[in-house]
Amino acid sequence: MPTLHRPDTLDEAVELLSTVDNPMVYGGGTAIQILIKQGILFADNFVDLAGIPGLREITPGAGVLTVGPMVSVRRMETDQRVRAHAPLAAEAYHQVANPRVRNTASAGGNIAHGDYRLDPPTALLVLDATVLASSVRGTREIPVREFFVDFQETAIEHDELVSGIRIPAQPPGAGRFVKNSSLGENDWPCASASVLVTGSTMHIGLGAVAPTPRYVACDATGLDDQGAVDAALAAIEPELDPIPDVRGGVAYKRRLARATVEDAVRAAWKDLQHA
Amino acid sequence: MLEQGWVGGRRARFDTAGRVRGLVSHVGDQPVGAAAHVAVHRSTQPHALIGAVHTEDALAMPGVYAVLTGADLYKQFGDRLLTGPAFADQPALAHEKVRYVGEPVAAVLAADLATARAATDAVWVDYDELPPVYDLADALEGSAFVHDELKPSSVFGDLRHLRGVRDTNVNYTYTLRHGDAQAAREAGAHTVTGEFWAPPTHHVPIELPCTIAWVDAGRLEMLTTTQTPSYVRQTIADLLDLPLSRVRVTTRPLGGSFGAKMYDRLEPLAAALAWTTGRKVRLVASREEAFLLTTRHGAAVTSSLTADAEGNLVSSIADVRYDTGAYADVGPRITAKSGMVTPGPYRIDTAHVRSRCVYTNKPSAGPFRGFGVPQVTWSHESLIDELAHRLGEDPYAFRRRHLLREGDEAPMGTRMHSADFVTCLDSVANAIGWFEPLERGSGRIRRGRGVAVGVKAVLTPTIANAVLQFNQDASATLLISTVDMGQGSDTIMAQIAADVLAMNSERIHVVRADTDATPYDTITAGSRSTYHTGNAVRRVAQAMRDKLIALGAQHFEVAEADVELTPEGLRSGERTVPVAELVHGHFGARGATLTAEANFTTSWAPYDKETGRSEKVTEHWFAGAIGVQLTVDTATGRVHLEHLAVAGDVGRAINPALVEQQLTGAAIMGIGHALFDQLVLDQGQLVNGTLLDYQLPSIRDLPDKLTPIVVESPHDDGPFGAKGVGETGILGIAPAIANAVRDAVGVRLTTLPLTPESIVTALENKQEEES
Repeated sequence: MPTLHRPDTLDEAVELLSTVDNPMVYGGGTAIQILIKQGILFADNFVDLAGIPGLREITPGAGVLTVGPMVSVRRMETDQRVRAHAPLAAEAYHQVANPRVRNTASAGGNIAHGDYRLDPPTALLVLDATVLASSVRGTREIPVREFFVDFQETAIEHDELVSGIRIPAQPPGAGRFVKNSSLGENDWPCASASVLVTGSTMHIGLGAVAPTPRYVACDATGLDDQGAVDAALAAIEPELDPIPDVRGGVAYKRRLARATVEDAVRAAWKDLQHA
Repeated sequence: MLEQGWVGGRRARFDTAGRVRGLVSHVGDQPVGAAAHVAVHRSTQPHALIGAVHTEDALAMPGVYAVLTGADLYKQFGDRLLTGPAFADQPALAHEKVRYVGEPVAAVLAADLATARAATDAVWVDYDELPPVYDLADALEGSAFVHDELKPSSVFGDLRHLRGVRDTNVNYTYTLRHGDAQAAREAGAHTVTGEFWAPPTHHVPIELPCTIAWVDAGRLEMLTTTQTPSYVRQTIADLLDLPLSRVRVTTRPLGGSFGAKMYDRLEPLAAALAWTTGRKVRLVASREEAFLLTTRHGAAVTSSLTADAEGNLVSSIADVRYDTGAYADVGPRITAKSGMVTPGPYRIDTAHVRSRCVYTNKPSAGPFRGFGVPQVTWSHESLIDELAHRLGEDPYAFRRRHLLREGDEAPMGTRMHSADFVTCLDSVANAIGWFEPLERGSGRIRRGRGVAVGVKAVLTPTIANAVLQFNQDASATLLISTVDMGQGSDTIMAQIAADVLAMNSERIHVVRADTDATPYDTITAGSRSTYHTGNAVRRVAQAMRDKLIALGAQHFEVAEADVELTPEGLRSGERTVPVAELVHGHFGARGATLTAEANFTTSWAPYDKETGRSEKVTEHWFAGAIGVQLTVDTATGRVHLEHLAVAGDVGRAINPALVEQQLTGAAIMGIGHALFDQLVLDQGQLVNGTLLDYQLPSIRDLPDKLTPIVVESPHDDGPFGAKGVGETGILGIAPAIANAVRDAVGVRLTTLPLTPESIVTALENKQEEES
């Protein structure tokens, strides 16, 4: 049976990660519990962050909001500071799973899970957020655009934990998050996209359509909505690398990715016109 | 109000609050004390001979009491280890060979469940692989055989001729011949054909299967999640070679079932282990294991429907193949009962159906809400829709013209009674606005409407019994073996008895099935309880009313004909005596009971050996219709249901609220089957057998509007005219949705489920053909 550790401080937590065998950080547990029940997650030591003070704080700074790793997904969705600072992020968090999961899941655990289908990373990518990774060696900053390195794999080292997410203020412009499932409405997304149009640049974060969340940007100078859609579809094309499974084959997932991006771009363009 | 509790009243079910708040305790909630917790080591091979089973490492683990293999059990029980409702082909633990990935091979008994489960990973099996039979095509090609020979059980005499048949994967064939359908097709003016597929699915009841078994004073006692306590008692008695009096099977309220908890699930293994080891054993399936216990039959149907130049239906031909997996279970019954309604509820001059039950190396398929009929309804309701389009006729009007009416003989030879298809179809068409203009949409979102009807027989012949204890305080205790799994049977049985006895139904307690106490009842399945057990309950209540009237006649010293049972008590002229006072006066004791018993048994005429026809194949019919309006997003292929109407002829609604809930629940389950619900297997390996991947309808998949419609065409012999309704609503959902998709975007899909991917692929193919 795995051992559950409940450290009181972040220092204790990272100390445990550097000393115990085969550790795993335990945040909200919404992913871990399912994987344990399915018998496909093996850890000898769980390091639960729930008792560490301060990890549930949302801290405003100069143009940056720092989110503690144990802030719930639900709070990322509802907190007025997040909604004012980065409404696109709040919208992506709002669409995660269902309210029961959002109340339990943590913002840090969400990205540490590293699943290619997660909703929040698409928004964090276009907003150019930074992940704080702590260990006994100190805390380093990882740009979120370098965080998702491979299928179910992040830049977090084995002795590190996500100790915060820094989200820059959403610049003026328009942002939209859209996701589509291919089977039940409440199923994992089959394609998701965050689109942020700011100044002359269109930033696109893609979920579920490649082994990792993907980010691309393209020039939107002088484009009308159809031109923006065409530019966006051309920009995402090299990034589309869907994994065929029960939710759809490669051709269908590519098609759904394009439809999802088109919807997000058109919605953002409409917002710009009404701004 | 008192009348709310009588027939036709909308009284609340007695257990709503308890079920919602978790106060109703289920089998898995029962404390078991000192018991051996059982986990199962499962086959990793779809088809292989079992060599050595290495149990030493598992046995050496602390807390492990015993590890038993199929060979161990076979030594003790011999061929009695093989059980099943139609074929005695399924061993409690695989013996000599495994037939599907996930089949139980060895059972670990341990001090706790975690230890037992961990120890199953320490069991190793040497396999000698055999050629696998992955699907219907492999099976019918017939080079590898899942079973060496057929082993019909002793239950059904009509399967006896199949005993010992070798070199086939077809365990049963039902054939319907009515006229010369081939000639009629050739002579007909318009023929539509189709290759239809409905995939295997799983029931996914909320409550997981759980069985606790122990030996008490030489008797095998069992508490288990089953819809079929009387069947399980017989099976266990046969397995252990005990008289029925030495086997006791009890249940608790089930948390849903839909056919998943019937016949031989965990019970034979639990009984064999308890009997062999002398220990109290507890088996519970994990959610992942539950997917392997039983499934709905995947079914392929190759079919045609032909009309003459005037649009009359002249020929229906179908070849139906049910994939029953590694064990027949009740597949042969499904093959016949569904095969015979494959032409649909229509006036058709001729019909030819061949319906086969086929073994493959997959988890066994068994009963599932609809009993195989939704799979053939998928065929006949798609065909007739397409034929209407072909003839330029309105699909609603074309069906209506051909639907069977009261007294009509269906192609399989049985007449229609209390099966009002026309009113069902009219009501759903009206509900969804069929006769109003449709805003079809011109861009990416297209709108369409579809209808479908469904027909199903009830399990016949069957037996129901009821015992009623009338308590001196004018309350009553009803003993029946119907299992309330959420359908509300206890509530409506109380309403039936209360109506006869002119009393408040809330003063009637229904005893849970306990084969030591409650009388034999065939099964709680096939929507049969309201009619069959309901009739037994009505009869037992009438017998009790007669007893009370006799006591009243003595009391008043008048003839029985001059005594009436009223809500106030027994009345004769101006005089009234409360029932409690009357019974107290009779016995001279408080708390005394009066007892009555009653039986209701139905009969049938077996299928003609040559034609498969029968003048009475069923005690009664279920008739239903579905209407749907939906949109299709042509960019994503996603279907959005705007309005779904579901109508069922229930004869008479004992409780209209519960009838509406059954229609609604069946419709929602059917929406899953239509749009995304399926078990996906790859080379015999289940790939989506977890709730992370398996798709069930959530609240967000429901139609914007869902309208249940109760149609009442009373049955002459039903209790107060009533029939059951558990399956009626599911029969036509998938074809109604597919027909609406056809109406919206012009593509005819014949493979379920109608995933967005399959819809956009069909749209692309259509564009290619048109360009």
